[in-house]
Amino acid sequence: MTLTKKSLLISLSFFIAACGSISNERASDASAVSASASGAYSDQGITSSNVLYFAYDKSDVNSEGREKIRNLAKIINKEGLNVRIEGHCDERGTREYNLALGENRAKTVAELLVINGVSSSKISTVSYGEEKPAASGSNENSWSQNRRALIKTF
Amino acid sequence: MKVLKSIFLILLFISSQSTLSQLRIEITGGAEDPINIAVVPIDWRLEFPQEEYLHEIIKDDLESFGEFKVLPPKGMLSFPSTEEEVFYRDWRLLNVDYLVVGHANKSEIEGELKISYFIFDIARERVIHKAIMSGSIKSIRRVAHNMSDKIYDKIQGIPGIFSTRLAYIDKPSADDKNYNLRISDIDGFNGISLFSSPQPIMSPNWSPLGDRMAYVSFEEGTSRIFIQTISTGTRSGIKLEKGINSSPNWSPNGARLAAVLSKEGNPDIFLYDLKRKNWSQITEHFGIDTEPDWSPDGKSLLFTSNRSGSPQIYQVNVRSKRVKRLTFEGTYNARARYSPDGRSIVFVHRRDGVFHIATQKIRSGKVRILTDTSLDESPTISPNGNVVIYATKRKDEDILAGITIDGKTKFILPSIRGEVREPAWSPILD
Repeated sequence: MTLTKKSLLISLSFFIAACGSISNERASDASAVSASASGAYSDQGITSSNVLYFAYDKSDVNSEGREKIRNLAKIINKEGLNVRIEGHCDERGTREYNLALGENRAKTVAELLVINGVSSSKISTVSYGEEKPAASGSNENSWSQNRRALIKTF
Repeated sequence: MKVLKSIFLILLFISSQSTLSQLRIEITGGAEDPINIAVVPIDWRLEFPQEEYLHEIIKDDLESFGEFKVLPPKGMLSFPSTEEEVFYRDWRLLNVDYLVVGHANKSEIEGELKISYFIFDIARERVIHKAIMSGSIKSIRRVAHNMSDKIYDKIQGIPGIFSTRLAYIDKPSADDKNYNLRISDIDGFNGISLFSSPQPIMSPNWSPLGDRMAYVSFEEGTSRIFIQTISTGTRSGIKLEKGINSSPNWSPNGARLAAVLSKEGNPDIFLYDLKRKNWSQITEHFGIDTEPDWSPDGKSLLFTSNRSGSPQIYQVNVRSKRVKRLTFEGTYNARARYSPDGRSIVFVHRRDGVFHIATQKIRSGKVRILTDTSLDESPTISPNGNVVIYATKRKDEDILAGITIDGKTKFILPSIRGEVREPAWSPILD
């Protein structure tokens, strides 16, 4: 993880009102400062064998997904890889609730990897909720692509 | 020549960026019976011309939520600037309910001005407020917003919200691949980026004094809660736990954050003590508990839980940890916020598969749907309790929209920059 921070000063005219006084009301200045971060974590290098899809509001893995997990578990164990699982949701429903739902998806996949012999110490999970959609558009076609878990190995 | 031209264009771009409103309030459905008010152009007694007209800023403010209809100067019969110059008859003829007049002078303090102004009740033929508003000449918009707040307060009897600010999050676009946490004046002017990151930013929440912002950033590869001081830009992550670290919500006294952690295996509501820098657990359930919001008295929290099988709104007493379910209508009720008086909640409610913003009195439990848009979320209530701004979709794009709590006025806040979401209304800044 590379994390570079830079600060950019933007001056802003910002008054603060002093209310309540009948005869005299005044305002004063302040300023605000901006910060930024940069980092990695993209979907690059993800192939269909590393992605599982879910039904709306569900975190159950279907039989096709279980097959993918079995195959991935073999490779992970053979090559001694670490795994990062990302859970994602479609845009329907509230963002924080979806963050929780995405975690359920990631954890379900993690449990299935463990059942298939991957050590839990090699697995980390993260939920992005609905924050990183794979497809844009408010329709079932996009939504079905966004309800997913990504299994990233390294 | 070419170089000069491009430099000029860049300068023009920069200056227009700073003066343009990034969000613009467009009323899509107005109240039928607005209050008629006349704001006479403020008599400008300074030696240089004014860059922006105070009466125009005040007009935009008062009309922004549909409650007032402001008479333009071209319809006026006289242009008084002092109490003595006002003839009530002139304004009665124009069917004006209230009148604002005033004059601006240089202040004894360098770089400041003083505006003496008067608010008249035309029917009762009397001055209901007279005062001197002072402020920086460079920040004329702020001076005007403070006057608008006073006018609103004196006529409506509740605080004005034209000096408040709005935080929101930009969706990454082709032009800017970053997520941006922005704040602007409530009318969209003076927008700045507080924090910018290639990884998601979520759930901005203002400190009760409006000087700091708590939010979630994924810059470290996992969700983490950060606190940033607005005036200095100084930011730091709070104590990180395993799993979800999210949904920060400042306690009314500013000492604690309610938030969500999943370190016990599933998301529960926790409190973070900002001084002691430690977490304590409030809810404990194997389901999803999330989206806490402090009651104005600091005694309880609202939260969303699926413990009944579908997401519903619950209230927990922070001391006794006793939990009470508040919503019973429908199978999706989430992300609730208390009204400033603590007696109502505003939340996301799904009906016939469509997500709307709804409100209910806590006691009666009767749901009233406020919005007729779809995929509505993230409602935030004005600090005077009168207006709700929320995130919605227009032609597949993320935009902000709003509605007065009485349902009379609807508006949208399209952004000139791109798609925006997660509005968070500041407290009254004083």
